[in-house]
Amino acid sequence: MSHTKLYAAIYVVLFAFATIQAVVEYAGFLEQSYWLAFWAIIVLSVIKAVIVAAYYQHLRWEPRAVSYLVVGGVVAAVALTAAASFSIT
Amino acid sequence: MSELPPKSSIKRWFLTTNHKDIGVLYLITALFFLIFGGLLALLFRIELLSPAADFLGETGYNQAVSAHGLLMVFWFISPFAFGFANYVVPLQIGADDLAFPRLNALSYWFYLFSGLLFGVSFFQGQTFSGGWTMYAPLNTPTYLPGEALGATTVVLALIMFVTAVTLGSVNFLTTMYRMRAEGLRMRDLPLFSISINLTVWMMLFAFAALLAALMILTSDHILGTHYFSYQIDGAGITQGANNPGASLLWAHLFWFFGHPEVYIVFFPALGIMAECFQTFTGRRIVGRKWFIIAMVLVALQSFIVWMHHMFLTGINLQIKTIFMATTIGISLPFDLMVFSLIYTMIKGRIRFTTPFLFSLGALIVFILGGITGVFLGAVVLDYQFRGTYWVVAHFHYVMVGGATALFGGLYYWYPKITGKMYDEFLGKVHFGVFMLGFNLLYFPMFLAWETPRRVFDYGGLSTTIDLSALELGVYVIPYEVWHNMSTIGAAILGASFLIMFYNLFVSYWHGEEVGDNPWAYATSAEWAVSSPPPLENFHDTPSYASGRLEFLDDEEVAARSSGSSGGGLAGHGATATDGGTSTDGGTSTDGGKPGSATAASSGVQSGGGALARAGPETALGTGTPGEHGHDGHADHASLWPFIVGIAGFVLFLGLSGIRTGGTFYTSLTVVGAVGVFGSFVGMAQEPFHAPEPLLAERWPYGGVEKMKLGMWTFLASDIVLFGAFIGSYVFVRVAYGWEEWHHLIPEAHVTMPGLINTYLLLTSSFAVVLAMVAAEKESRKGVLLSLGATFALGVGFLINKAMEWDHLFNLHGSEAFPHGWDLTTNLASSTFYLTTGLHGAHVAIGLIMVAYMFLRAWNGAYMGDEKPIEYFGLYWHLVDIVWLFLFPLFYIL
Repeated sequence: MSHTKLYAAIYVVLFAFATIQAVVEYAGFLEQSYWLAFWAIIVLSVIKAVIVAAYYQHLRWEPRAVSYLVVGGVVAAVALTAAASFSIT
Repeated sequence: MSELPPKSSIKRWFLTTNHKDIGVLYLITALFFLIFGGLLALLFRIELLSPAADFLGETGYNQAVSAHGLLMVFWFISPFAFGFANYVVPLQIGADDLAFPRLNALSYWFYLFSGLLFGVSFFQGQTFSGGWTMYAPLNTPTYLPGEALGATTVVLALIMFVTAVTLGSVNFLTTMYRMRAEGLRMRDLPLFSISINLTVWMMLFAFAALLAALMILTSDHILGTHYFSYQIDGAGITQGANNPGASLLWAHLFWFFGHPEVYIVFFPALGIMAECFQTFTGRRIVGRKWFIIAMVLVALQSFIVWMHHMFLTGINLQIKTIFMATTIGISLPFDLMVFSLIYTMIKGRIRFTTPFLFSLGALIVFILGGITGVFLGAVVLDYQFRGTYWVVAHFHYVMVGGATALFGGLYYWYPKITGKMYDEFLGKVHFGVFMLGFNLLYFPMFLAWETPRRVFDYGGLSTTIDLSALELGVYVIPYEVWHNMSTIGAAILGASFLIMFYNLFVSYWHGEEVGDNPWAYATSAEWAVSSPPPLENFHDTPSYASGRLEFLDDEEVAARSSGSSGGGLAGHGATATDGGTSTDGGTSTDGGKPGSATAASSGVQSGGGALARAGPETALGTGTPGEHGHDGHADHASLWPFIVGIAGFVLFLGLSGIRTGGTFYTSLTVVGAVGVFGSFVGMAQEPFHAPEPLLAERWPYGGVEKMKLGMWTFLASDIVLFGAFIGSYVFVRVAYGWEEWHHLIPEAHVTMPGLINTYLLLTSSFAVVLAMVAAEKESRKGVLLSLGATFALGVGFLINKAMEWDHLFNLHGSEAFPHGWDLTTNLASSTFYLTTGLHGAHVAIGLIMVAYMFLRAWNGAYMGDEKPIEYFGLYWHLVDIVWLFLFPLFYIL
């Protein structure tokens, strides 16, 4: 697959996933089962983000250390959010 | 680019981008802020001679205490350490300068002007008076006296300061991973450089959280959002009804930064102590490997202890218990480091020079500060000690303990910086008076520990000393005695610096000349060059490939470069962003990256080249060495960083009063904004060459060129910034009730505008990668079309957002929101507009970059050189990724 075709295929996947997220709401899944729909939508966002980072930002082809750098930032942000939110439960 | 005038010329100090000059500027400026903060401390120590506000007055006292804390923590200690870092680290790692010299100058000017902005706040009615921790809601205008313009200025000054810190962090990390001398592994760096490396890692992530907190606070001040304020209902606060998480949110954000900040302050001091202990005992530090591992552990653990500052808040017991355990855990690696330093003294032969004495003094007071801190890490004891002078005493024993080592560093590197030796006798006198003043100032605070922190009234309290068992009676000592002792100690501590300034000033003019190395057992690379070092540090290229420091002349560098080139090493072809040819590459990639000509032609491990002694990550270039082992002439002067700094100062000063609607502040804002934009354009247009060394050790970023590594490092910080914004939204929504939150959102806030913007951003990201492919294929038309599409889609995104916002602002027909749904309506509107607004600002900045690149492409740039487009793409795709989370969080869920 040429580079352009690879990028185009990724674009189509991203476009489709975004549409699915909206469909989850329009179809009323949030009303039926909020937390199931919630996690489905979040997981789709995570998959999209990983695809963009891996292919459009080329992390797939960079030394692993660059990915660790990014993961460090993500872990810090998630740790702050999760621990802070848990602290008031 | 301008020529660099001599040091005797004032002009030089506005133009210089050289790391040693910048280091000196940091040191002098930080000492100025030491005097500023120190005088404020003397003022409120005079106030505390008696338990009443009879000298400064109540608000005067609050301002002096708050400003002292902020100035000392932010504008003195860390910048002082980074004066040394600027001067010494490039020398220790064998680099000519930092990776981005103009960015380094810009960091300094932002630092200086942020401090001046703080100074201006005193003249805007009142400066900030809510304590250095700026707890909510006391940090919001409602709870600040007067118009609170001075307080807003302080918050903006902190934002400017954090910007300087972030730029510095990116610069230091890029430098240390791209410009180490050949053969110099990370683990072999001198301990001061290792300590700085770990410090900037912590700074990169911790300060991003603080930046988020400050930006949100600024929004509360200027735009009227409700993050940190409670709903005011007449004269009362309807706590729990409107924003139950207000105070806790600030505490979480602040202390997520605040606890690593303790180590950010202390690590450079630790590095200096390690250097001085080695030099003045004549012995390598005992357990060096474990010392380094302990530092790494502390750096990591520093991010999982922040809630021990919140034991007295309403957080649950489980989390308190977890954070008590992590807090006790972080003391263990520190124990190891302390024992290592002590055992180094035992194994070596000590020479009691001034730098050693200050280092030893720092160790002793830090041990006391550390032990008293363990009390605060235990939940049950913290219930008693929190908010008392026990904390004040412990905190100062740690922080000023760190500063003690930094003063040792000043004496240690003074001969290197000036070429002159200080007066040893006066140095020792300074140490003696300093330690006397220090302990007389801070130790009585342990005895008067029940004094409430930040409160001038301690009347009626006393310490009972029962010596009846020794038949010496029982003594009741009023707290006035302890506080008066502290005030006398403060005066002595302050006076000790007069000795230091006199010594350093007179020695600069009349001191004994020193050679390269005035210390018998100092071994790091800065002592291998003249004092002061030449402009570009080394006449030849330093190398550790043989296992010890050697200097290679340009012919040897050329021979190694060409030899390695013959071996098929990568590294050629990539273009440095500052012009010239970079020397990156050298690390294989698995298969090559789509759209990257460089990677497609590489794929060969550098370790297989002719340079067998170098590690596998040693990168080699094929450029022709000019001077100093890199290709071409390096620039050292630019006025643009200073101009950007001054324009930023004007902009922030204008913003501090923009909510008044007055002409003065509005004009300043406009002038400042135009100035910042124009000066950045000027800086971008200026030809400035900052070459990388041809031979360098670059593990673990061997295949990542300088600009790309800098961009990724910045983006990692940006991830934490956005993460903290999103985390704040999640936190306040959890506090409010996740699903009850929907009542705060109008029916008109629908999914479709968000979905359209998702499509627009995804398409723009696709357009950017197409631009990169077109540049690779040298298709000018393709580059222009793709960049043009990116720009148009980005503009479309902003227009769509503007239409959506306009619609929501003006929901006048809505029954639930009769006045529309704007920034100030409720917590949901505040979080929605501010978080998506921050993202929109990123889009707008990206559009400016795209427009600039489009113009360059129009003039023929990027043909066969897709790297700049790739670097921009890294930023743009991150903006896209962030939106992929904002869309569901703010439009669907």
